[in-house]
Amino acid sequence: MKIKNLLKIVCISGAFILGSCSSDDDSTTEVAAPPTYVFERNNESSVSFGGQTTRIAMAEEIVSKLKDNTSTEAILDAMFAHVEGANDFLDASLNASDKSVRSKTAASRDYFSDNATDAAAIKDKFDSWIKSQVDDVFPSWTTDASAGVAGVLQEAGGGSKRYVNAKGLELNQAFAKSLIGALMTDQALNNYLGTLVLDEASNVANNDNGVVAEGKPYTTMEHKWDEAYGYLYGASQDKTDPNKTIGQDDSFLNKYIGRVEGDSDFAGIAKEIFDAFKLGRAAIVAKRYDVRDAQAAIIREKISQVIAIRAVYYLQQGKNALEASTVDYASAFHDLSEGFGFVYSLQFTRKPQGNVPYLTRTEVQGLIDQLMGGTNGFWDVTPATLQSISETIASKFSFTVAQAGS
Amino acid sequence: MKKSLFLVLVALFFIAGCSSSDDSNDTGGITDNFDRKALLTNIADNIVIPSYESFSTDISALKTATSTFITTTDAANLVVLRNAWIKAYTSWQSVSMFEIGKAEELSLRNFMNVYPVTVAEIETNITSGTYDFTSVTKQDEQGFGALDYLLNGLSGTDTGIVEFYTTNANAAGYKKYLSDLVNRMSDLTDQVLNDWKGSYRGTFISNSGSSATSSLDKLTNDFIFHYEKHLRAAKIGIPAGVFSGSPLDTTVEAFYKGDISKALFDANLNTLQDFFNGKHFGSTTTGESLKTYLDFLNTIKNGEDLSTLINNQFNTARTKASSLDDNFSSQVRTNNSLMTQTYDELQKNVVFLKVDMLSAMSIRVDFVDADGD
Repeated sequence: MKIKNLLKIVCISGAFILGSCSSDDDSTTEVAAPPTYVFERNNESSVSFGGQTTRIAMAEEIVSKLKDNTSTEAILDAMFAHVEGANDFLDASLNASDKSVRSKTAASRDYFSDNATDAAAIKDKFDSWIKSQVDDVFPSWTTDASAGVAGVLQEAGGGSKRYVNAKGLELNQAFAKSLIGALMTDQALNNYLGTLVLDEASNVANNDNGVVAEGKPYTTMEHKWDEAYGYLYGASQDKTDPNKTIGQDDSFLNKYIGRVEGDSDFAGIAKEIFDAFKLGRAAIVAKRYDVRDAQAAIIREKISQVIAIRAVYYLQQGKNALEASTVDYASAFHDLSEGFGFVYSLQFTRKPQGNVPYLTRTEVQGLIDQLMGGTNGFWDVTPATLQSISETIASKFSFTVAQAGS
Repeated sequence: MKKSLFLVLVALFFIAGCSSSDDSNDTGGITDNFDRKALLTNIADNIVIPSYESFSTDISALKTATSTFITTTDAANLVVLRNAWIKAYTSWQSVSMFEIGKAEELSLRNFMNVYPVTVAEIETNITSGTYDFTSVTKQDEQGFGALDYLLNGLSGTDTGIVEFYTTNANAAGYKKYLSDLVNRMSDLTDQVLNDWKGSYRGTFISNSGSSATSSLDKLTNDFIFHYEKHLRAAKIGIPAGVFSGSPLDTTVEAFYKGDISKALFDANLNTLQDFFNGKHFGSTTTGESLKTYLDFLNTIKNGEDLSTLINNQFNTARTKASSLDDNFSSQVRTNNSLMTQTYDELQKNVVFLKVDMLSAMSIRVDFVDADGD
């Protein structure tokens, strides 16, 4: 399997290099990516993604507040659906912002502009996790959790405490990991990297003619591409060279690109993603939209893989934990809760070609039903079911359960 | 053209590399002629079983001293009980790394010696009188650490401690908890020792291959895991604030007793080095071991025998630790840099053991750092 994949990669890269060689002979200009994500116009940076940095910071505060059992539903709802000037966050600059996390949840052009029904259902799902955390889990903060009973479980060795609902699910984890799909992945892959947004209105003509957005140093097309970039690297320490600290800069997509990069089966993926972003942005400057779209396809494929690999990884970790002779339920359910969110996020993945995810919303719902469908959810799920879900996910991608699971 | 030829060569190189690593993982075949069975026999008969027998004797003595204290509750019997606890706690250091077989199945180390314990939950248990010690979530409410609190932490004086078991409104609850703790530890110890003396010795020795689930691969991983997490990190690194940025003086082993944390550390360090050298329990005789295996493989690093480098590093760490206060809690408060220097010396052996030794023996690391979220 490994060898077959490798051969495939070698063949593809061979073909790619041969392809680029032959295009050398044509008169088309080659697009060169700069060493870092630095693009300028008139000696001024033309890169801007402040809105993404803001939403990542808001999401961090929301996720953290979900573990504060003195919080109320009204407080959490207001943080999620922030309005400009409301005193929702610890960070005053977030309060002043007109951005909100909820408004961009399941809100991409490609997936949801003509699917308000699903968009509303998904937003409702996030709302319901908040409500249930406050109504069902907060009041049971000191109750020992058991099958059918919400409460707290402590990890082995006097480890971390995990607060779960009656089905063993940590709602804060469900919320955080599902947001990686519904906000970061959906916005980047299905909104900003899509041609509906990149080429909207007169974006192509303006980019061709160097017409910048009013009062800005960038063309609208450049800016849209940067906004996709911002959902991965908006909290990076060095936003022009983010792989130096990949995985350490947020609790969302950046973090898990870092985790997948750390698995030797997938090492190199962080560079592939970053290189595609750089080359795609350079292609916009060079007005080479074919090259731009080829890079978007690479990014869609790789980010989708990150989501799927982490889904399988956590399901496998949970399975291993449940199979231990002395079961550490806190640790097992923590893994499964993270896995739950990554499985939920699969519906926001995007195949490199066509306007479709690797797993449809219906397929994802089917997997969630298998995972949580027993009367008592995680307390009832079997290792065999976790294996079967893992295999279903891996079969849609080019990796194996064994590669992702360790 | 040259470019594509190069690519093909690179591709071939990769394929060759991949297939050979796949082979060694899948077949788990013997990679050298070293007599792993002789090594496993030495470990089982001369190290593990005698260590558990000695520990079991000390746990029995602890049980007796507990009964005596509960029957005749006074300061003199508290001192006797405390000394029995110290003896058993020290003895525990010679078995704690053997988290294999029944000990692994029971998760012995986490039920015997989690620290720091959570005092509020211990007190809640004593008040309610209902608790399930078999639950993983109760691991920080039992074991040697919970005894530390009950025998040393209830009051600043022995008279004050004894009052919890005599005049306290819930004296019966304190006595019951004390007794339940010791019985639980005794029961777990019996299960593990009996398994070794029953069928497990044979299972352990006959599983002498070199797959990831073979006895030597597993136990060598257990050894390194214990060295890294339970010696280097738990006893030194965490109190010294290596992972948190500032010292945490309440996280030392035997915090309430205070002045035995160094003795416990030393005992554990000696056990790990003795295990490496195949030294028989309670004797100076040595047998087949990780050291003799490395020497058999003639593993050299920087022109020196790797086994010598490892032993030298164990000795350097011990020498560095010898200047520490008997009480690590007071050490991190008064001069933490001596603790971090000890940590640094311990860390150097992680590289020798986990990278160089495992690579020489073709053993794969089977544990990863926790996710941390």
